[in-house]
This record gives sequence, C-alpha cells and structure tokens, in this order.
Amino acid sequence: MVNVMKGILIECDQAMKQFLLHLDETVALGRKFIIQDLDERHLFISADILETLQARVDDLMDQISFPLADRGL
Amino acid sequence: MGGPKKTKKDDNSKKWKKRKRDDDEYVYAEEELVDVGDGGIPNAAKKNVESEDQGAAEDEYGAKDYRSQMILKTDHESRPLWVAPNGHIFLESFSPVYKHAHDFLIAISEPVCRPEHIHEYKLTAYSLYAAVSVGLQTHDIIEYLKRLSKTSIPDGIVEFIKLCTLSYGKVKLVLKHNQYFVESPHPEVLQKMLKDPVIQECRLRRNIDTTDGSAGNPDDFITQVQDKKGVLQFGTKQGISSGVVPKEHGNVAPGDQTDNKPAEATVPEDITNFYDKIDKEDEDDEEEAVLKTVSFEVNQEKIEVLQKRCIELEHPLLAEYDFRNDTVNPDINIDLKPSAVLRPYQEKSLRKMFGNGRARSGVIVLPCGAGKSLVGVTACCTVRKRALVLCNSGVSVEQWKQQFKMWSTADDSMICRFTSEAKDKPMGCGILVTTYSMITHTQKRSWEAEQTMNWLKDQEWGIMVLDEVHTIPAKMFRRVLTIVQSHCKLGLTATLLREDDKIADLNFLIGPKLYEANWLELQKRGFIARVQCAEVWCPMTPEFYREYLMCRTSKKLLLYVMNPSKFRSTQYLIRYHERRGDKTIVFSDNVFALKHYAIKMNKPYIYGPTSQNERIQILQNFKFNPKVNTIFVSKVADTSFDLPEANVLIQISSHGGSRRQEAQRLGRILRAKKGAIAEEYNAFFYTLVSQDTMEMSYSRKRQRFLVNQGYSYKVITKLAGMDEEPDLFYKTREEQSQLLQQVLAASDVDADEERIPGEGPRTGPAVHRRVGNMSSMSGADDAVYLEYKKTAFSNIKHPLFKKFRT
Amino acid sequence: MAEASKVIKITLQSKNLQCKNLHDYLKTLPTEILDRLYNHPTTCLAVYRELPEIAQHYVIRILFVEQPVPQAVVASWVSQAYSKEHNEVAQVLSSLRVWQEAAIPGGLPGWIMNSAFKRNMKIALLGGGKPWSMSSQLETDSKPRDIPYLDSYAMERWECVLHYMVGSQQQEGISADAVRILLHAGLMKRDEDDGSPVITREGFQFLLLDTPSQVWYFILQYLDTVESRGLDLVDCLTFLFQLSFSTMGKDYSTEGMSDGLLVFLQHLREFGLVYQRKRKAGRFYPTRLALNIASGQSRSQLDMNREGYIVVETNYRVYAYTDSNLQVALLGLFCELMYRFPNLAVGILTRDSVRQALKSGITAEQIVGFLRLHAHHRMVAVGPPVLPPTVVDQIKLWENERNRFTFSEGILYSQFLSQADFEVLRDHAQDLGVLTWQNPQRRTMVVTRSGHEEVKRFWKRYSKGAG
Repeated sequence: MVNVMKGILIECDQAMKQFLLHLDETVALGRKFIIQDLDERHLFISADILETLQARVDDLMDQISFPLADRGL
Repeated sequence: MGGPKKTKKDDNSKKWKKRKRDDDEYVYAEEELVDVGDGGIPNAAKKNVESEDQGAAEDEYGAKDYRSQMILKTDHESRPLWVAPNGHIFLESFSPVYKHAHDFLIAISEPVCRPEHIHEYKLTAYSLYAAVSVGLQTHDIIEYLKRLSKTSIPDGIVEFIKLCTLSYGKVKLVLKHNQYFVESPHPEVLQKMLKDPVIQECRLRRNIDTTDGSAGNPDDFITQVQDKKGVLQFGTKQGISSGVVPKEHGNVAPGDQTDNKPAEATVPEDITNFYDKIDKEDEDDEEEAVLKTVSFEVNQEKIEVLQKRCIELEHPLLAEYDFRNDTVNPDINIDLKPSAVLRPYQEKSLRKMFGNGRARSGVIVLPCGAGKSLVGVTACCTVRKRALVLCNSGVSVEQWKQQFKMWSTADDSMICRFTSEAKDKPMGCGILVTTYSMITHTQKRSWEAEQTMNWLKDQEWGIMVLDEVHTIPAKMFRRVLTIVQSHCKLGLTATLLREDDKIADLNFLIGPKLYEANWLELQKRGFIARVQCAEVWCPMTPEFYREYLMCRTSKKLLLYVMNPSKFRSTQYLIRYHERRGDKTIVFSDNVFALKHYAIKMNKPYIYGPTSQNERIQILQNFKFNPKVNTIFVSKVADTSFDLPEANVLIQISSHGGSRRQEAQRLGRILRAKKGAIAEEYNAFFYTLVSQDTMEMSYSRKRQRFLVNQGYSYKVITKLAGMDEEPDLFYKTREEQSQLLQQVLAASDVDADEERIPGEGPRTGPAVHRRVGNMSSMSGADDAVYLEYKKTAFSNIKHPLFKKFRT
Repeated sequence: MAEASKVIKITLQSKNLQCKNLHDYLKTLPTEILDRLYNHPTTCLAVYRELPEIAQHYVIRILFVEQPVPQAVVASWVSQAYSKEHNEVAQVLSSLRVWQEAAIPGGLPGWIMNSAFKRNMKIALLGGGKPWSMSSQLETDSKPRDIPYLDSYAMERWECVLHYMVGSQQQEGISADAVRILLHAGLMKRDEDDGSPVITREGFQFLLLDTPSQVWYFILQYLDTVESRGLDLVDCLTFLFQLSFSTMGKDYSTEGMSDGLLVFLQHLREFGLVYQRKRKAGRFYPTRLALNIASGQSRSQLDMNREGYIVVETNYRVYAYTDSNLQVALLGLFCELMYRFPNLAVGILTRDSVRQALKSGITAEQIVGFLRLHAHHRMVAVGPPVLPPTVVDQIKLWENERNRFTFSEGILYSQFLSQADFEVLRDHAQDLGVLTWQNPQRRTMVVTRSGHEEVKRFWKRYSKGAG
C-alpha cells in the first residue's frame, strides 16, 4: 500500500520553517495546515491555505521592517 | 517590557503609569521636551508651513504637484535650489553657487538630509527666528531666496517668512555696566511695547527725581550710536599667531576659495552680489553698526516677567552680551594657547556667535569627535568673564577640565570642579565645571556643597556652556536657568533630532541654533574619520527562533541577543579586526549578553558594577597593552566615562530605536585617524542584528539620523570567510542547545537592560522597572512614524497599479 | 547559517521578458524563409555584422571555397585552448544556416557555406549585382530635416506608444494597429471587465528596457503579425536591414517600393522609425531608431537615450530632472513620488513602493538597471559605482525577502510497505524527472503534480505485477 496526498511542497530556510511550524502549532491561521514535516527545509502543506499563509508571512516581514527612508516631514 | 513586577518601586506603579516614559533615559530626552509647561513660545512660532500646501493638487502618481504654482526661470541651470510651498527646500550640492546657498540655508532653515548630491532643508518658524537673531532681515531673506531659486517663490513662503521674521529679532536684551537694557534699532517697536502695562512695570527709570515723573513721556529713550570696535578675533591676543585669520568680507579658507573661483563664471551676478551683502551683514553687522539704537533700562528682578511678556507680544527678546563693555564683572585671565588652531567650521560657528562683537546665546551643533570642546573653550576665552560649564557626568567634568588646560592658559587654580566626587574650592576661580544634576537636585547637600551652591547663585556669569544640551529635559533646564544668572548661553550638541518639533523649545530657553555642521563634508575634508557602517544579519538558529516565536516579549530580547549565529559573527569580527591590528569596542546594553560574550571569549568588560579601579585598569590596558585589543562595555560607556580611542565598534545589543545613541556611538570612532588616508575607510561600525526578529526594525530606526547625514549602512548577509574560520564557539547543535537552556533559565532581570543610576545624588526615581511593551521601548510608537504608516503606500496612487491585476 | 540568506527561486514565478537578439530571432524562422532572406546582400551583411569574431573569421576564410571544408580543418584554425568557443561558433553558424554539414569525398564530416549567403555576402563586400541599398535618387528636399529634428521626432513618436502603455493622461492616441501589436506581444491584455487594454507584467518589464531594446522587441512582435496583414516577412525584414544600413539625416525615395512595403513604411512611421512629412511625400528619412534596429540588444548601440536624469541618494531619495510625464510615470512604478516641480520630480524608494513593483512582475535587477541606465551625469561623475551600493543591495534584499519560500504543487507518497517498493517508484519518478523530494529512511517522496498521473499508472502496473 501507499498513501497519496495532494498538497504543496514548501522549501525554505530553517528559521522560516520554524515560523510555519509555529503558525501551525498555535493554530494561528484558524486551523492546522501542515500535512507532513519533511526535513529541515521542507514541509508539505494543504494547498488551500497558501494565500492566507503568504499574507501572514508578509505581515511578519512588515513587522520587522522599519521604513528606512525618511520623508522629511 | 514584561508585566509590572512587584518590586518595591513598582508599588506606586499606578502613579507612574502616565509617566512611564520618564525612566527611559533616551526616549525621555527625545520626547520629554514635548511638555512645554508654561508655553513660552510666541504664536508665530507655532505656525507650521508644512500644512501650507494642503491645497496643492496631487498629480496622477500621488505627488504634490507644484508645477502650477511656480515658473521656471530661463537661467534655472545656474541657480541651485527649489522652494516648495510647504517650506521644503532642495539644494544641488554640485551647483557652482552651492557654498553661497549652503551658508544661507543653514542660517535660515533646518537641514532635513544632506547626502551626496541634493540636500533638503526645511523652513520652520524656529529656523527663521534663528536667522533673524544672527542678523538677517526679512527683506534680505526673501530676496536672496528668490535669487537662488530656479523658479519663482510660492507666495505662501514669502508670507510665512514675513510672518516669522518681521517681529522677531527687533528687540534685544543687553546687559551693560551691570544694567539691563531693552534695545532696538526700531524706536516704533519700543514705543509699541511700552504701551503694554506689564512692560511698563518692568521698566526702570533712574532719573526720576519726583513721583510726578512717573507719568512722564514714555518715549524718552536712551539714544546711542552703537560703537563698534571692529572685527572680533578669537583668542584676542594670540588670534593671528594661532592661525585664525580675522574674518573680512569674503575671506574664506583658502581651499574654499580656489574651489570656487573657476565656477564663479557661471554664477548669475545677482547671486554673487547679494551673497557679498548677506555675508558682510552676517559677519560684521556693518549696517547695524552705523544704526542708531534706542533703549530703555529694565529692572533686573523683572527680567523673567519681561521675557515672557515679550514673547506673548510676539517680540521675543534676543539675549546679547556686550562683554567688552562690561566693566562690572572682572575679566578672567584666560586666553587660547598658540597651539589651539581652530578648524574652519569651528571658526565659522564661533563667528555666528560673536558676529556683531557681542555674544549671542544659542546652540552649535557639531558631530561627535569634531571638536565641540574647543569651540566651548574658545567661546569662554573670547568672553573672558567668569564661565560656567555644565555637562552630564562626572567623567565629562574631568574631560572639560582637561580640555581647558589643553587649549587655554587656564591652570588648576582657575578651574573648579563641582561634582559629588570632586569639590574644588570655588572662590576666586574663573571657570566652574559641574553637572546638570549636581546643581539642579533638591536633596540636602553637604555644608561644603551648599556653600558652593550659594556662591554659584550669587555670581553673575559671563557665559554658561551647556554640553550635550539635547540630553537634558526641558524641566531640568528651567531649573538651571532659575539658579544660574548668566549673560549668555552656549549649547553644544552633536545630534539635534528635530522630527519632534517641540524640541525647538530650546530655542527659547537657550537661544536659536547658530550653526550646524555637515557630517559628510567634515568627513570628506578629513576632520572626522571615514566610517564604514555595516549591519550584519545573523540568521536565528531554528531552535532559538522557535523559542523566540513562542515566548513572552521580555525573553525575546534575550533570545535575539544570544542567538548563536550572532555570537559567532561577533567572535569572527573581533578576530578579523584583531588580526588587522585594530582596537575594538563591543557595546552591549544587555548585561546578561555582555557578560556571557566577554567571559566566553575571555575579554575584559566594563559595566555599571565594575569598580573604578578595575575600570581604569581595563582602559589603561586597552590603550597601551598591545595584547588587549578588544573590550566589552555596557551602556555606561555612552556617558559615564571617557572611552579611549578605537577604530572598530561592534554593537551586539542596543537600546531599542534610539537614533541619538546610535549617533553618539558612531561618534566614539569619529575622531579623525591620522595617517590612514590611503584607505577608503579608516573606522568600522558594525551593528549585529538577528534576522527575522524585531531587532531588525529597531536597527533601522536607529540608523535614520545618520542616514540623513549621508551615512549608508551596508547590509552584510554573510560574513565572507566566517565558515572557514576555525574554532568559533557554538558551532554544534549541542553547544547551541546548552546556550539555549542557559538563556531560558535566565530571569527577567537578565533580559533587561542595565539601569544606570544618575550621576550624583539621585533626582527622583531614575531607576525603576519599565512598564510598557517592546514597541514603546523601541520608540516604535512614535507618533510621527504611525502617521507615516497610515499614509504610506497602502492607497496605491499610480494609475497603472490601479489598473493592473496580477 | 549561510543557507538562510540564500536566494531560493520561486517555481511559481512567471517568466521574465525575453528579449531576443537578432540571431536568436533568425533562428526561430523556418529554413525556407532564412534562405530567402539570404538572397539580399543587406541581410547577409547584417547577420555577418552580428557574428562572433571567430565566426566572422571562418566566414571570410571559406567565402571563396566552393567545396565542403573538412570540419577538422576548420577546427585547426583555432588553438586547442579555444575549442569551446569553436564549438559554440560552429553551432551558431549551423543554426543560422550560414553553413551546413556536408560529407566530403572520403566520408569525413565537413561544412559547406549556404550558397545564397555566399553569393550575396560577396556582393555586399565586393559590390556588383543589383544596387542593394535604398534608392536616394531624389531632388534635394526643399525642407530638409536635420539629425536633432529626427531624433526628437523619433522619441516623440516612440513615447506615444509608451505613454499609451502607462495609461498617462496626456497622450496623443496610438493606432488600433499598434494596440493590436501590444496585445499580441503580451505587453498589454484586455481587461476582463471592460475589455480595455491593461498593462501586463511583461509590459512593466518592457517599460524599463532601454529604447533600442524596446523598439527591437516591439518590431519582432510586429513581424510576427506581418503575414496576417498580407505582408511578406522577407520583404519587411529585408527593408528593415536596408534601413539599418542607411544614413542619418539623408532622405530616401519611396519609388519602386511595393504596396506592401508602403504599408509597412506607414507603420514604421507611426512608431518613429522613419520620418515622412506627408504620407505620400515620396521620400522618407530613417531615424536613429531604425538605424539601431538590427543590432538588437548587443553592444555599441547608437543610444538615443537623452542625458541621464536620475539622482539616487544613499538615503533612498530619488530626484528626476525631468518634465516628462512618461519618465515620471516610469519612476512611479517603483518609487513613492512626493513632489513635482516644473523640472524636477522628487521621490523616495520605500519597501512598499519597491514591493509593489516586484509584485507587478518587475525584477530588482530591472529597477536597478533602469536607475543605472538613466543616472544623472553627477552620479556618473562620482562613481563608479554609479548607484549607491547600499541602495542597490537593499532593492535586492527586498526582492529576496519575497523569495524566502518556494511553493510547488505536488503529491506526497508515503507509507510504502517495503523499501523496495519505495525505491522502485522513486527511481521511476526520478527517471521521469518529476521527483521533487524524497527520503528513503522515511520512505516518503513528493512528485510534481503533472507527473502524478504517470507515476500513479506505473504504480498500479507495478503493484499488480508484484501482487
């Protein structure tokens, strides 16, 4: 027998993988979405979460960015 | 940080809640000044030209479209600037008339940013006030601005300049022969003022024989033709030999002149003509010299009432001290040594102060390491009356004493230190050096100190030098001003952070900004070191990042500071620079990290509890022992002691988003290094940040001020050669996880930054646990920023993006 | 540690704008068309002009050889050290059908030059045959146009196209034909709601190219459509090559041009490649746009970009010395614009504004390239580097920030009963090139979505066979 599942393969660096695991564990996106933790830099997730997930990653990046440039106002 | 912990001090946390910023030294100094207290600001100064362009149409890309409001001149290419209706001015640094325009703009406006090619300035009520107080006049400001501009000047700007300058600078408060006079070249202004009952109250009439004279003619002013003793030289006696050339019309440093000559050809005549006029007026005040002035005497006890009233009447008094005519206060015997050579910008700043032969009060802004103290010493030697120097730590007091001995003829007998440690006998001294907290604190003093205080209060000081003025909250200032009677005040600072407009209250407490140097220019001319600034990104290890995501805010800080990648980067950088033969100072505001890093790498470290003896020993070793090339210091090093010279600075943990701290730390390595001209950079400033954490954002915020001064931070995502470097710590997962355990076991106190008790006796709760969240600590709740965020790119303006769908 | 900052490409990212050079384009043409093209000396010369130096050398050496030349002999013309270059060049010449493989007596492989190419190349170099340049037997123009006039005319015409693309308000429309080309080229597409043309991500990238590359790209797209307009591709190309050998500021006669070519000329006129006072003027002036045409993207272009106008500061400010709405619109693609003065636009590069551009399909490299291409002479004087390195780095970092993840749709196979089963399926998937991840210890693998069907079929067959 073999088990077959559709989804999305994610490749990313280790820190970002931790971030995804964190979102999954804390059910921050409303539900669990990781189908399988493959290795240090790969995850397999359900396909329908992709958009929400990307938005969340954008949020993280927004948070840690401070506008470099000063509008001088 | 963290929730309020029930320490003893926090029991009154409710009371503190609304003042929670107070304990944060930096935020405090940057924001505390917001509370003005008694609103001693003229109305016009509250005017903000920024909003003047509200009506300006936006073009289809979201830009303010000023094209319809101005007409491009046909010879625009030979004119250097644009003036926007909102008071912003853009100046081409490569224009042949750059120098003309730069000198002028620095006098009338605030620099916003000054990178390589195009500089931005901003007209504000304060900057115009400053312009007027150094002798510029409304008509000339407008006229010169018109001539320099590539386009016609928006009407609103002309109105604004008039509004802010017409009533300013007309009236001066002058102390002569120990009598105070309100003086003005405009009799009508004095007449108007004297109609005010409060002012009348303040007036002092000496020739009144009988009481019926009280209703006498208010117009019988003392009329005088101001007599000028020619142009002032700094360090009067040694002036010439010390290389300071007396300023005459158009006389600039030789370098400047040659730079300028060939370009003159393309300069429209109206600009050169006018520049000469402004330049002359600014420096020599010739016109004023032949002007008749009128004045009336005022009662010394009523000075403060008078000043306040004048502000309300929109005629703020400019304080000028005619020290050469002050025969009451004895001269002190002090001169500049022949070896004291002023650099051109130091001289220029002093000329702004002493431009008309009198001493004006105000603030001079020079980068750290650019020789602020020589400016202070020279000012004191010029006035040659009793001088009071205020600084913010005992160590600075010692430094100032050293500076006086180095540059001037003053010896130990003339310089009196007044700190909790050193209490020299004040009587008969010419120069007293003390700290702000020493003279403002309200607790009981020793008998000895009390005597000194009384003496200090009784003196009529010729000049008061206020070091690091921007670290001092306005409240403390007010206290200083009520205690000390001085004829003129000189504020010195490196960083006038002015996005918080309110900070300009200092304009009215001390005086206007007289001069502000251009960092990039000083760097280019070799007066300060050429620094390579770098931000090193250290990826969080997965284990640390995992904890970071899960833990409370207070622990987050510790996790990103202790990130093994950061440790390894630090270790690598230290080794790299040790091999080059550099001297490195590592800053960590977090004590847990400081100790851990230093002990693990076996380097000496200094923080609050380090004893005086040990400190001295470490610093001496760092200076002279070729084997000690790296030291670790906590933020006590920012203010509390004199750091020896170093050319590499590494920040592993710093205070939230304090731009001033960043600039100050950079200043530690700015002192120009000799003999290293060949290299592109001769100093290095690294900030290590853990990737994907809030530290990234703080780091960027800290950089803003310096970025606007033309510095650029190179982002290093990977240190070349680090992977090949053998024997760096925390390489293996096991070592890393042990470190993680230590961090997780650390208490909340460890996660905190070091608290530095105020120098001298404590004034109020200088030390207590911070309540509030990370963002307030970082200054991320800065209103200016929030507002920016709101209006950011979220509403897409470009018509293309409106249409475009991905 | 290092991996974290490594840029990982996104598999879902759509293609970047591919701008072909002349050779790349010619290679796509059917051999029959190529052979017909070589019937004109101009084409031969144009192709020759763009050949790598070694290839030019070979062509000259065998131009007068009538039999096939042994490949070994040709290879011996360059030293062993350059055999890689030799192979590449041989490949280029073959794909352009400048030469073809031909066996020489004795069976050794050889090369023989395309006879049409050979004949016309000789004419181009040595003269003879019919005159191949355009006719200039004209009376002197009573109102001759000088080069500056032609330059500004060409730019003005060309910018109309760009203006149309950016949707700027002040524009003189462009013809329906031109719109069709833009749509055909994928630079614009019909809006799903109202059917009006809107720019595409390729369109954004197009806007940031330099002018000669834009024109070349546009013309290539145009050439794609000429046959559907009833024009002859070979005629049009030949005419373009003739134009590229013409002289600026000189007028040429339309006499003898076929009706098709006259139509073509009107199109070129619309885009500013040629100037005609009136449609039926009987004469035309080629502009710099036309002269640049055949050189595609390669070297020494007679670039007609106006003087650089952009200043980029270390504090992310961007100043553009311009009064052109088009230039401001282009800047607005990745800058937040703050002020417009009569001759200056002030903007600022922010994370948001750059991300907006990245999202629209513009790459960091294109932004940087654009800023560098149009850098103000002050920037050039202070450089190199022309642009502040920290700003360049930051734009790239903003791009990398978006590329921290690669997402790819796939199918996860797990819980194999035996290692052997796993290995068989894995190897098969690998052979098909559809395996994206695998772990033998865990007997788990991921195959691409498109590969799934195939792998599944194989698995069914295999398990039946095994069972």
